[in-house]
Amino acid sequence: MFSKKKSFVLKGSMLCVAAVLLTACGGEAPKEDTTAAPVADTSAAASNDTEQQSYSLPSPLQIASIFKKSGLKYKDGVTSPMKDPAKYTASLNQALNLGVYSADLSYTVLNKQNQESMAYMKLSRQLADKLGMSAVFDEGNLATRFEKNLGNEDSLAYIIAELQMLTDMYLDENNQQQITSIVFAGAWIESMYIGSKVFDGGKKSGLNNKLAEQLNILGSILKSLNAQLKKDPAIAGLTADLQTIKNIYDELPSVKNNPGAADDSEKELSLTNEEVVTLSKKIEEVRTKFIKG
Amino acid sequence: MKKVFFIGLISLVFVFGFTTIQTDVVIDKKALTSSCKKKLDPFQYDSQKFTKIISTKKNQQLEVEVPVFIGEKYRVVFNTSQMNKPINIKIYTKDKESNKREPIFTNKDFNKNETEFIFDAPRVRKMFIDYEVPKDSANQALNGVVVFMIGYK
Repeated sequence: MFSKKKSFVLKGSMLCVAAVLLTACGGEAPKEDTTAAPVADTSAAASNDTEQQSYSLPSPLQIASIFKKSGLKYKDGVTSPMKDPAKYTASLNQALNLGVYSADLSYTVLNKQNQESMAYMKLSRQLADKLGMSAVFDEGNLATRFEKNLGNEDSLAYIIAELQMLTDMYLDENNQQQITSIVFAGAWIESMYIGSKVFDGGKKSGLNNKLAEQLNILGSILKSLNAQLKKDPAIAGLTADLQTIKNIYDELPSVKNNPGAADDSEKELSLTNEEVVTLSKKIEEVRTKFIKG
Repeated sequence: MKKVFFIGLISLVFVFGFTTIQTDVVIDKKALTSSCKKKLDPFQYDSQKFTKIISTKKNQQLEVEVPVFIGEKYRVVFNTSQMNKPINIKIYTKDKESNKREPIFTNKDFNKNETEFIFDAPRVRKMFIDYEVPKDSANQALNGVVVFMIGYK
């Protein structure tokens, strides 16, 4: 009797295990149905996590480096005011201003402004903490290494590049790619603001061309932000502000009368001094709004 | 009888645990990043992008738009070691909607066992990286992650 009962329980247990195994083995089929997406579908949601179209934006350090190579000198007082990061309460403003500080950090490092660099590094760390990204700065002892290498431009640039790499990896692992796009939008507007302020009435034609080149990537920034709207609807306000700059840029005679230039790698984009001034005003207006929080 | 129930319970826990491990493959992104970084040298790190590949019943063409700047030198490093099967990678000058786009890189001519590809880009304003994912509804053997890293100098 006991033996029969034992055998029944054992068979029952085996059946349960078999049922679970079957469920596990057959579990892939319905998943396929939900992941099926048409080839031309550009919606990430349509294919269950697979991004049919995505974007990889440059780093703030590269923009600062390009401007420097074009003759952009250091000008006192053009970087953003060192505000208490506690004033930025919304995560969008925190990410946006982390980008602004990243651009200021790159600009001051490449121009050997040690005190300012250290201050922007600390502010960046504080904003990163608020965004829950403390681990990025803790890894590889970046802040300490940065302090120890003050005065050595190449080493500092290397550390900033490493910081960027760790940030990219952290945000990807935590499925927070929208923060990458927002941070870059902040960095881009700050870099453009610095570039236009130091441009100084068109005295440097090389810099004029580089400003035009930078405006050419605004379309990619907007597409990257729009692709992340589902994750953070607050991005809509940010894209609206950046779109106002793009609208002005697209209507400039140098751009409008030269429609293929933006795609032609053999042509160099160039704006007139008046056009740069028109754009600079708009950039300043948007940047003021961003750093105000 | 308690012993039998206990064995059954342990079996269930094992099966559930096993199922979870099977369906949620852990990717060591740090190792991938580190490997790409070594190949990027002497170029300065600029950005990287992990793309999750989930094969479906239809062919897919996953595209990453990468804006770059005229006059800069770029290197792109791909790592496909986290894919069970080789995947076709192509880089174009324009997006997949354009009929004027030109291919500037393909990994088709590389050895099939290679999982790392290095490409030094010519003068372009944008690069469009395409991952061609063939349909694979039977066993999803193509699922995985591809990463590329871009550097400048």
